[in-house]
Amino acid sequence: MNQSLKSFIKILITIVLSLLIGTIFILVTGENPISAYGALLKGALGTKLGLGTTIANFTPLLLTSVAFVVAAKVGAFNVGVEGEVILGGLAAAYIGINWVFLPAPLLLLACFAGAMAVAAAWAFIPAFLKAYYNVSEVCVTILMNSVALYIGSYLVSGPMSAGTAVPQSDPVQVTIPKIMNPSSANAGLFIAILIVVAVIFMLYKTKWGYKIRTVGTNPAHAEYAGIGSKRVFINAMLLSGMLGGIAGCIEVLGVHGFYLDGFAKDLGTNGMLAALIVKSNIVATPFMAFFIAVLKSGALAMQQASGVPKSVVDIITAIFIVIATMEFVIELKKKHKKGE
Amino acid sequence: MREYIVEMNHIVKSFGEVRAVRNGEFTLRKGEVHSLIGENGTGKSTMMKLLYGMYPIDSGEIIINGEKIEKLDPKSAIAHGVGMVHQEFMLVNDLTVLENVILGFEPKKGLTIDFEKARKDIQHFIDRYQMDIQLDKKVSQISVGEAQRVEIIKTLMRGVDIIILDEPTAVLTPQETRKLFEILANLKAEGKSLVFISHKLNEVMEISDRISVMRQGQYMGTVDKDKTSPLELTKMMIGREVFLNIDKTYSKVGGKVLEVKDIWVSSLKETSKIRGMSLHVNEGEIVGIAGIDGNGQSELIEAITGLRKVEKGSVILNGQDITNKKPRAIRETGLAHIPENRNTRGLNHTMSIEDNLIAVEIDKEPYTKGIMMNVDASSKYAEEMVKQFDIRPTDYKLPTSALSGGNAQKVVVAREVSMNKKLLIASQPTRGVDIGAIETIRNTLEIAKKKGTGVLLVSAELEEIISLSDRIIVIHEGRITGELAANEANENNLGLLMMGGEDELEKGETES
Amino acid sequence: MGLFENLDKIFNVSLIYATFRASTPIIYAALCAALTQQANILNIGTEGIMLVGAFTAVAVSYITGSWFFGIIAAMMGGALIAMIMAVGHIKYNSDICAIGMGINMLAIALTKFLLSVMFGTTGSFANPDIIPIPRIHFAFLENVPVLNDLLNDWCFTEWFVILFVIILQFLFYKTVWGLRLRAVGQFPMAAQTTGIHVNAVKYQAMLISGLVGGLAGAHLSLGYSTQFVENMTNNRGFMGVAAMYFGGANPVLTSVGCLLFGFSDSVGARLQAYGLPAQFVLMMPYVVTVVILAISMIIKLRAEKKRESSLITNEARG
Repeated sequence: MNQSLKSFIKILITIVLSLLIGTIFILVTGENPISAYGALLKGALGTKLGLGTTIANFTPLLLTSVAFVVAAKVGAFNVGVEGEVILGGLAAAYIGINWVFLPAPLLLLACFAGAMAVAAAWAFIPAFLKAYYNVSEVCVTILMNSVALYIGSYLVSGPMSAGTAVPQSDPVQVTIPKIMNPSSANAGLFIAILIVVAVIFMLYKTKWGYKIRTVGTNPAHAEYAGIGSKRVFINAMLLSGMLGGIAGCIEVLGVHGFYLDGFAKDLGTNGMLAALIVKSNIVATPFMAFFIAVLKSGALAMQQASGVPKSVVDIITAIFIVIATMEFVIELKKKHKKGE
Repeated sequence: MREYIVEMNHIVKSFGEVRAVRNGEFTLRKGEVHSLIGENGTGKSTMMKLLYGMYPIDSGEIIINGEKIEKLDPKSAIAHGVGMVHQEFMLVNDLTVLENVILGFEPKKGLTIDFEKARKDIQHFIDRYQMDIQLDKKVSQISVGEAQRVEIIKTLMRGVDIIILDEPTAVLTPQETRKLFEILANLKAEGKSLVFISHKLNEVMEISDRISVMRQGQYMGTVDKDKTSPLELTKMMIGREVFLNIDKTYSKVGGKVLEVKDIWVSSLKETSKIRGMSLHVNEGEIVGIAGIDGNGQSELIEAITGLRKVEKGSVILNGQDITNKKPRAIRETGLAHIPENRNTRGLNHTMSIEDNLIAVEIDKEPYTKGIMMNVDASSKYAEEMVKQFDIRPTDYKLPTSALSGGNAQKVVVAREVSMNKKLLIASQPTRGVDIGAIETIRNTLEIAKKKGTGVLLVSAELEEIISLSDRIIVIHEGRITGELAANEANENNLGLLMMGGEDELEKGETES
Repeated sequence: MGLFENLDKIFNVSLIYATFRASTPIIYAALCAALTQQANILNIGTEGIMLVGAFTAVAVSYITGSWFFGIIAAMMGGALIAMIMAVGHIKYNSDICAIGMGINMLAIALTKFLLSVMFGTTGSFANPDIIPIPRIHFAFLENVPVLNDLLNDWCFTEWFVILFVIILQFLFYKTVWGLRLRAVGQFPMAAQTTGIHVNAVKYQAMLISGLVGGLAGAHLSLGYSTQFVENMTNNRGFMGVAAMYFGGANPVLTSVGCLLFGFSDSVGARLQAYGLPAQFVLMMPYVVTVVILAISMIIKLRAEKKRESSLITNEARG
């Protein structure tokens, strides 16, 4: 309890600090920080459209942040969630367009299953290379994100193209219903929440979760205890990939209704951010994902209302993560004690 | 002139919760060899690392050449004339010997390192003390004895008068030990003052002028070599007269549990590679493996337990070929394993005592039902184990990182022994644990044996091997150099076998 | 079809310079990563350092009208960013991957922000007032057929990179600082016991790495091109890190790795003219990088396995 209180205070201090630094940047642009932040909050939560947009932003972030956390629990730094979102979206779009012989509910299921399978297969590559050849998964996943992006871009401007000016696919034949028109918030939110709850449960209540956690914290011990650490590592990465794939599927079926080139931009990165800020604490991660969704959807409103460029929000989140990685709060307290 | 060139008074040093040194005292006279002795983990090394400025002291004072030193780091320690040869060599494997020797004190020529001058300077010391070292080899390619001479040259190059040697003979063969003692005698003759850390009484009696004893972080006293005996030193070290004694029962020995047939196993270090080793363990006996650390013990155990690949040969457990099987399959066949390093292998310190106790049975009922973990069952089991093995603190929801070395080891022992497997491998089971835990652990092994378990015991402590084992196998550089029944074994004949076997034995006898 | 008839147009003399030109920014990035790697710090932030350098170079060159000041400022900017990372990692125990990714995001956001605040534009900034790094023209080569194509009109920083690789090779393996750097990276305790201040060496490595990363960015925005584009590094920093792995942080071997990326990049660009979809061309360096990364690690592990085997007797047995 004491420990979680401490980390909560730390996150709070980090938030305040980054907002303060953000304030400096806003002042540089000659605007009023309070009205800028006000516009941001109002834009994100104050209107029905704004709230809907925030929820629409939150849905994929919830999944991608938890995808990062699952990988982190097994000791992997999975920057590749974004690529997994892209490929999951691609698979969902392909199935949603072409497998029309299936009745709608089955088609929906097939879209999810396909997205998960393809995304997991994609995640298998860095997982395998790391587990068996100790190739840095950070480098591989970063590079593979670009590859995934180009694969998607190629398919929707070539073989899967709808023939429009903007590279995109034909519309899918099954969609996830919207819940807050006119925003793009959709029922995918409930799917995401259900899945995340299931993942948390799995991590802390089942033997699979135990294995993932023990491999992530001490692989040598896991190996000794007869838990195949390589296999567990790969499995957790596959799960991480599946979560990314589901996010892609929800984006394609729920938000756009087709595969849009570049739809996954920053979805993986921002999810990773949310997880990193709370040091992959899986219970805190969804809240941080929501917070970032608020910042993201409010940024545009802030830019329109106050003339502060929305990149200020990116700066704030980046500073956030830089500060959050440091173990400085405890340090400050120690110094304080010595002073007394 | 002052009587002492080094005085350490009322030294206290803690690492986190662990008090490494409670009340440390140490003095050094010019030109003497002063030994610091005590069992493993009694704070000897810590005391000397404090003198060398590796860590700051919590309280107390360090006086060198009459000057009270407030802030000490290795650089200033060297400047004050203190050098240290660490037990684990502080040599960078991928650099050459020459680069290692000059590191931190490199002679320069313009922008570059003046390797020629360095070579000449080092040659001077090599000639003077007749130490043969190969300057252009990488450290990873030289032998342990040579690495140690490199360490000594390193300290000499820095022009120090006080040289601390931390367990220098632990890794040496008898010839190398003799060579080292010659070098140390030369150094002493030149007026250098030496601190010799050891727990081997015969060496200490051979080389020292004065001897200080530490026990559990406390200074127990200093005696002159001429006025003491090994018996008195033992008493000071252990706090009672004799070593821990188990009433050994020669129970009826059953069939073969484990058979290792001519195995070859890889290793990072040349001397730890196993090149053709065969042995067996019967039901109801304890077989001890004696040897100097790093002669293939760890590799042998890892090969048997499936943690390291067997490159040639086979391992039979309970009549089944388990060569290169997965650790899990081997455990199922009937293996329990107390690993040599409880921190990296034996325990996951981020998890609770309870979770650690079920680590190897996580897939089994009652701890898991279907895919769900059954906390009621594991808690009940943990409660039992905590009681039975006297693990403290008793709150089994605490992470094992909160436990002392002895209690943490008890968690490992509890888990492995309670499974009642046919074969129990115990690797360094009492390393770095307190006397109380040593007694519990040794008794546990004895009880397991009585129940008919075959026990394979690896220990760096000869005394432990001799007092527990029924049969003793001695290994050197990855080969078996001899096998003795427990009642024929003593520190002498084991010691000689540990140094390389019969050839060495003959040599040793003719020379002494 | 056309592809095979035109092989001589793809693989000709100008491919050599094209490869080198495409490799140069990656070489600088890889050297930035190699510097910290020698101190056992994986510089994931190379990308961000480089991006900040690229922006600073363009901004300062535009304002002062001097490419030289542009480079100097870029190096300062890179160093500043690297020092944030250094303090976080060394003093406050930040996970290097986490803070490195944070730095990369900060660099993207910060340059975007400054682009709109300072120049009132988004996306990219090109202007005739941005003074590029000069190209070196040898008049005497003008009439030499092959060499003129091959060597004339190189950008100053393209010539310099060759010298710089040699300088770093010398620095790592012949100087006191290099020796200490390698000792700190491989066995910090050993370095500490010889009186070396381990953290000071790490800070120095990060600082110099930042300067080099800044230079990498300056070359990208003032030498390779003459403009700033949002996120213009486009993963070159990560390719540099991959090349650094490939070369084991040895400057010369690392540069060889970079040339491989440059080669695949320029061959791909030529293939595009013969009907290869643009996306495959763009993808090629990334795929090649992953493959090379995997192969170099597999080779390394094989070698280690062989060295550790009990069946082979090593001559060097002491």
